Amino acid sequence: MEIKELFRKQAQSVLDGDAKAAAALAGDAVGAGVDLKACIDEGYVAGIHEVGRLWEEGEYFLPDLMQGADAMKAAMDVIRPELLKTGKGAASGPKVVIGTIEGDIHDIGKTLVSTFLEANGFSVIDLGRDVAVEKFADTAAAEEAKLVCLSALLTTTMPGHAKVIEILKERGLKSMVSVLVGGAPVTAGFADEIGADGFAPNAVEAVAVARRLTGFES
Amino acid sequence: MIRSIVTLLEERIVLLDGGMGSALIARGLESGKSPESWNVEFPDRVQDVHARYFAAGSDVVQTNTFGGNPFILAKHGLDDRMEEINRAAAQIARAAADAACTKGGGEKLVAGDIGPSGLLLPPVGNADPAELEKGFGRQAAALAEGGADYISIETMMDLNEALCALRGARATTDLPITACITFDRKKRGFFTMMGNTPAQCAETLAEEGAVAVGANCSIGSDAMIELCPALADAVSVPVIVKPNAGLPDMEEGRPVYRQTPADFARDAAALGALGARAVGGCCGTDERFIAAVRIELDKLAHQDNS
Repeated sequence: MEIKELFRKQAQSVLDGDAKAAAALAGDAVGAGVDLKACIDEGYVAGIHEVGRLWEEGEYFLPDLMQGADAMKAAMDVIRPELLKTGKGAASGPKVVIGTIEGDIHDIGKTLVSTFLEANGFSVIDLGRDVAVEKFADTAAAEEAKLVCLSALLTTTMPGHAKVIEILKERGLKSMVSVLVGGAPVTAGFADEIGADGFAPNAVEAVAVARRLTGFES
Repeated sequence: MIRSIVTLLEERIVLLDGGMGSALIARGLESGKSPESWNVEFPDRVQDVHARYFAAGSDVVQTNTFGGNPFILAKHGLDDRMEEINRAAAQIARAAADAACTKGGGEKLVAGDIGPSGLLLPPVGNADPAELEKGFGRQAAALAEGGADYISIETMMDLNEALCALRGARATTDLPITACITFDRKKRGFFTMMGNTPAQCAETLAEEGAVAVGANCSIGSDAMIELCPALADAVSVPVIVKPNAGLPDMEEGRPVYRQTPADFARDAAALGALGARAVGGCCGTDERFIAAVRIELDKLAHQDNS
């Protein structure tokens, strides 16, 4: 198979949300000795970006988004161990602690960001929803995480964002870990105001901001 | 004898109520606390909200049970009190309705409100549809026991979850059931988060036995005017619309709705003219909005009769 054709099929498998095909194509690439980092960038990441674009255009919906991310994850599960073996890729990406602040039981956005980060090579520790503010700092310290991602869907839980940053500062962790915030009511202005390092309005941009904050390229 | 919601919807445009959560916050509900817990802790305050809507002209009020399903109550450690809380909510609304009838307000009905579970069904999440159906069914039974006249499923983001609620409620009560979905405006039109169109949702819910179907929340009254014909064209059952008071501005991290009751009421009348048979308000609306809509609907009825 022509290499460009392989990349195209890999991207398509993500667009189709076809985890089986995505993993099989990753296996083909491994077998044929193709440059796996190129497969990620020109194949799967290109696919996930297109998924994100189609979502913003209103062509794709939540199920498409989740299935696309799952397909990407399935491919990365095949590729990552190979990269490790050959020593060509970084080990798994930087550790990210993510969760929805306590009092908030919504977690669609958080789950999407978590899946997208994982699909893009980050090591994600997903604390789930309704998470106590201290737990973010506890986990970040224990896991030596590089990034904490906070989500709020309710305006009432937004003060929790500021609280997590305060606790990180109090414990002297703030220089080690960046904080990325998001969620329906959260704005860039709010992120600035509370001293967060980054803000992302959706899962696709969250990946870009997470990369910038951690200096990580998958 | 109170007549069925089905009869009322045939006769005239039925006026529903407005927001409940903000009314409870105004009465002291703390953030993070289950609004449904007030059905047993402060029934008088909840009843006051209902009474004001009836006084403003609502034909129907919805019970304070939007988060009264066992799945949401479990987040507050209240799932073991699910029956008690929903029964109490229906009794409170019933008492308000009876009081309003005695005052000569005509027929006043109680809708037993069922909102989303907060769980996601496959392929997005891993909630079990059978579990959802059972949980919603238990809630519906408790609402019926407390005296609800019909069951109102609303703000469902996923048609499949709405179907779980509809099937669950049908299994446990003989009450009529209405179902409203929440739609977002996308570049190509209105869709649920999962990608279903208003017509698909309306048809499916009507086929599954909903006596009326509609849309609520997420969009303002102007967008609802665009959406309404898609619902009305798709089904022969009555259509329900409950828009928000416009789109909110964010102020200090809190949503602020700026639409005036008069503007909202003008749009509500337009919705009635487009074929909606029940109108009400969702986020950002209060009794002033309902009172303004009452005036517009009365004018509309007067024009039709003259």
